[in-house]
Amino acid sequence: MIGYLFSVVSLLCTVFIMQQFMPAFTGLYDARILIVPLVFCCSSVTVSMGAMLIMAFLCGFLWDAQHLPGVAEGLESVYTHPVEQLKFGYSILLYASMGFLMQGIRPLFREGKWHVSALLTGVVIFLYLFAEFMLITFVRGEFILTRGVMLKITFCSLLTMLLSPLVFWILFKLASMFRHTIRYDSLKTQRRA
Amino acid sequence: MKPLNLLILLGFLVGVVWAVTLSESSVRSIQSTYYETVSPFVRAGSKLEAKAGAFLKEVEYSKDLEARLHQTELQFGRLAAIEGQLRELERENNELNAALDFKRRTNFEVTAARVIKRQPSTWWKSVIIDRGAKSGIAAQVPVLASGGLAGKVDRVTAGEDEASVILLTDESCQVSVQVEGTPEAGIVSGQRGQIGGSPLLRLRYLSKDAPIRPGMRVVTTGRGGLFHAKILVGTIESFEPGAFDGEAWVKPSVDFQNLNIVFVTSQPDSMGKTEEEGE
Repeated sequence: MIGYLFSVVSLLCTVFIMQQFMPAFTGLYDARILIVPLVFCCSSVTVSMGAMLIMAFLCGFLWDAQHLPGVAEGLESVYTHPVEQLKFGYSILLYASMGFLMQGIRPLFREGKWHVSALLTGVVIFLYLFAEFMLITFVRGEFILTRGVMLKITFCSLLTMLLSPLVFWILFKLASMFRHTIRYDSLKTQRRA
Repeated sequence: MKPLNLLILLGFLVGVVWAVTLSESSVRSIQSTYYETVSPFVRAGSKLEAKAGAFLKEVEYSKDLEARLHQTELQFGRLAAIEGQLRELERENNELNAALDFKRRTNFEVTAARVIKRQPSTWWKSVIIDRGAKSGIAAQVPVLASGGLAGKVDRVTAGEDEASVILLTDESCQVSVQVEGTPEAGIVSGQRGQIGGSPLLRLRYLSKDAPIRPGMRVVTTGRGGLFHAKILVGTIESFEPGAFDGEAWVKPSVDFQNLNIVFVTSQPDSMGKTEEEGE
C-alpha cells in the first residue's frame, strides 16, 4: 500500500508539470484537459480514505501554489473596490470533496466496474469547476453565469473524462507493480477470520 | 472509522486551517519556492514545445508545397523549405523591429521580455515571461505590449529570470483610467465569465450622463501607485448609463491572442518619480 501510495504521489507530481503544457482548446470555449484533478479522482478511488486525504492536501496545496494570483495592490483612495481573491488552501477542500465523491462508488470500482468511476470523474470535475466558479462569484459578488462559462466547464469535464480509462490503466499497472490489491474490506475480514 | 483514518482526518483539518490562515507573504514565498522548483521543467518543456511547433509548421509548409509542386524537382522542394525557414525568420525580424520601435517610443525604462507560456489555469488569465528577478523586475509593475497596456507583474520567481504577468483581461487586474478628451475617470478591468478570443474590458464608476462615444481612447490616469500615466488601454466600444453611474465596454488595444513580446516597465520607485514629474 505504501509503495503504491508513493508511486501515485510521484505520478501526481509529474502531472503537475505536465499540466503546464496542456493547451487550451480555443474552439471549445478555451477548455483544457485538467490532468491533475483527473489523476487525483482516479487514484482516490483506488486508495483508502486516509490516503485520499493526504493526496487531496498535496494536490490542493500545490494547485493553489501554481494558480492563485496575488492580492491586488494600489492606493485605496483610487482602487476603492479591490477585487477579492480566494484564500490560499481553498483547493484542498475542493479536492477532498472530489475525493469523497469518488470514494462513494468505491465498492463498484472494487467489483471491477471501473467504467462507472471513469464516468463519475467527468461529473466530479464538472462539479469541481462549477464550485470553484461559484466560490469566486461568492467572494467577489455580482452573480455572473454565462453560457460560455457553462460550456467551458462542460467541455473541460468531457475532455478530461475521455482520458480517464488511460489513467486507470496506468494506475492498475502501478497497483500490480507495487502489489497493491483493490478488494472489499469485508472480504479482507472474512479471510482474516 | 478506523483510528488511523481518524488521525489522518484530524491532521488534514489542522493542515487546512494552517493553509487557509497563511499570511500573504507566506503564500508568496510558497509560490516562489514552487515556481523555483518547477522552473527548469517549464523552461525545458517550453523549448521543446517551440521546437515541436516549428517542426509542425515546417511539415505543414512542406506538405503545402508538395501539393502545389509535386511534379517539380526534389531540389526545388528543398529550396522552398529553406525559403519557409527564411520567411519565419523574416516574420520574427519584423516582430522584433516593431518591438524595438515601441521600446524607442516609450518615455520610461522598459525591459523587453518574451512570453514563454500561458498559465494553464481555468479562471485566471496570466502568462509567464522570460524576465524576472535577475533582470531587476519586481512584482506589481506595469507590463506593456506593442498596442498599449497588457497587465502587471503578479509574481517574480526568486533567483530565476522568470515572472508571472496577470493580464488586463483578468477581473483582478484593475487599472485607473480616463476617457481621453473628457474629465471622465473610472476603473477598468476584465470581466468574469468572458470566454473567447477577444474579450472586452469593463470600465466602471463613470458619470451616468458622461459624454462618451464609441471610438474614444481610454488611457491610464497614473493615479493609484501602480501604472504610469497616459498609457493606452483601449477604445470605447459602447456606453451604458445606469441609475447612479455609467459603465462602458472597452476594446483592448493589445492583441491578447498573439501576445509574444511584452515590455516590463521600471520599478515602482522610479514610477513614483514619473508620476510626480507628471503632476
